[in-house]
Amino acid sequence: MSAVAREAPPTARRATWRRKLVPYGLLLPGGVWLIVFYVVPMLRLVSVSLQSGIFPRYRFAWAWSNYAELVTNYGGQAVNSLVYAFLATAIALLIAYPLAYFIAFRGGRWKNFLLVMLLMPFLMPFLLRTLSWKIILADNGLVVDVLRAVHLLGEDGRLLATGVAVVAGIVYNFLAFMTLPIYVSLEKIDRSLVEAANDLYASPTVAFRKVTFPLSRPGVVAGTLLTFIPAVGDYVNAVLLGTPQQFMIGNVIQSRFLVVLDYPVAAALSFTLMIVTVLLIIPYVRAAGTEDLVA
Amino acid sequence: MAAVTDVGSGLPGVGESPAVQLESVTKRFGDFTAVDDISLSIEENRFFALLGPSGCGKTTTLRMIGGFEETTSGIIRLHGEDVTGRKPYRRMVNTVFQSYALFPHLTIFENVAFGLRRRDVAPAEIKQRVGEMLELVQLTGRESQKPRTLSGGQQQRVALARALINQPRVLLLDEPLGALDLKLRKEMQIELKRIQNEVGITFIHVTHDQEEAMTMADTIAVMHQGRIERMGTATEIYEDPRTGFVAGFLGASNLMHAEVVDAFAGEVALAQGVRLRVSPDRLPAGGKQVRLGVRPEKIRLASVDSPMEGNALEGRVVDASFIGVSTHYLIETGALAQLAVMAQNLEDRRFAPGDRVQAVWRPEHTFIVT
Repeated sequence: MSAVAREAPPTARRATWRRKLVPYGLLLPGGVWLIVFYVVPMLRLVSVSLQSGIFPRYRFAWAWSNYAELVTNYGGQAVNSLVYAFLATAIALLIAYPLAYFIAFRGGRWKNFLLVMLLMPFLMPFLLRTLSWKIILADNGLVVDVLRAVHLLGEDGRLLATGVAVVAGIVYNFLAFMTLPIYVSLEKIDRSLVEAANDLYASPTVAFRKVTFPLSRPGVVAGTLLTFIPAVGDYVNAVLLGTPQQFMIGNVIQSRFLVVLDYPVAAALSFTLMIVTVLLIIPYVRAAGTEDLVA
Repeated sequence: MAAVTDVGSGLPGVGESPAVQLESVTKRFGDFTAVDDISLSIEENRFFALLGPSGCGKTTTLRMIGGFEETTSGIIRLHGEDVTGRKPYRRMVNTVFQSYALFPHLTIFENVAFGLRRRDVAPAEIKQRVGEMLELVQLTGRESQKPRTLSGGQQQRVALARALINQPRVLLLDEPLGALDLKLRKEMQIELKRIQNEVGITFIHVTHDQEEAMTMADTIAVMHQGRIERMGTATEIYEDPRTGFVAGFLGASNLMHAEVVDAFAGEVALAQGVRLRVSPDRLPAGGKQVRLGVRPEKIRLASVDSPMEGNALEGRVVDASFIGVSTHYLIETGALAQLAVMAQNLEDRRFAPGDRVQAVWRPEHTFIVT
């Protein structure tokens, strides 16, 4: 017995060391990925955003004026970005919540089928999906005809090439990102909690307000973030379904980077977009409860 | 809601109606009949247990009383009032759920206060009553904690407090101790009984644990295949189970086929002609073939040569296992395959496999089952 006991420590020590190292080892691939493809480009982005000069000879020059361009030249697009993203997120939430609720609570044996149907559009390329909305919202299309007939649209009113079309496109493209997290959080709610609420004199409406909805909040927070963040930076929907008037900040960045080759301003705009998004999200996540997000 | 609250005090005669009354209640799920034409009446202030194996319909019965399942047919009355079609949130009953179903996003205080808040009780009163209730279940000081920080037994007590604070007419408990370990379960059994005495509310307790039911309940209904097989006090059911199922479910029994020889004297004969005696009032009227039973702990073993009174069967010990509080014997007799005997280790004489013995018991310990 004692011999074994005396021999044990070195092995045990090795085992403890290994146990301590394993988590870091697991972090390594993701960590390297983040450093190579996120931290380094980010620092590069910040340094480029402070360069000045004429393509292709940009020099680092503490050129803060690049940042001023957002306000002086692209204020409209920035506002479009925020307004469209906000509207699209709100509308997507209004559509996704009942949808997720229905699938989770009433789906029964159709649950998996309904989830597949929800994801089905993703089998079609993003561009094609968005382009098909051109047909749906076309001036001689069914939707416009109906809206004109009931006088929700004027005689020559149109949807395509308006903010409505851009928001509709964004809502459509991000709907699944909103629905799935909400579905997951609703799905895992123990049904007996709702029964317990009913048992304690809560009508179905009150039970939803006091129990079901609060418990699904992590899904709502995740869904709105997964929709809002990419929507703010989106430019495809504005290009395909809108006109330059509906252009968002993403369109400006895209053209500065790839068309005008004005890297410093493009970088400054990108960095600003990121900061603004983070600043908007922090209070939101705080108000919605960070505890819920991790719990 | 107001109408429900008024009933207890306002209407004459309500005090005399039973707390819960089921009249021919049936519940079918598709082709499956979960609860089959049950009628029962539970008096005020009782600790009533619905006991049975899983799938016997006990939980479904409880859920119908709580309003979580609709009845297929039949009437449910609470204190005389027909509540058959009424939603759970309009019934003055509360439930302690099997999984406790505590709201994970609310503190202990808010969990317990939930029912009072829904009924717009004044905040000051809520604070006072929650305090009292947490004291009753010995959880004072845990108000601001979340349910997940509590142990299973503590969560169980929160669930109890959350239901009891509403002063329901009837408290429904759905296998409330099922998730607890044995020691805690024993403690909670006594605790539940104490609380029931203290609050004086009718408890309907669903369980598959016979010992739990016998420890706590003053009336037990044994359910089997959607029906109530036997109802009575623990002693009544145990001493005279009346059906083979109850005899086997509640404790162990030796059952044997017999023929009635003299119904007036209570004399029956086993297959080999061995005569046994039974209390005559337990014999069914007119029946010729009966099944009789005797509990293993009612049987004493004695050596073959000693003269014995009462019912006696001769046999040979085939197995003897000493388990501390008692010794379990298996006796091979001619009359029935094997007889289980549980002997308290009071006498010096122990028997070993191979010994010839006689198994002796008193006629009044013999029961008849159908």
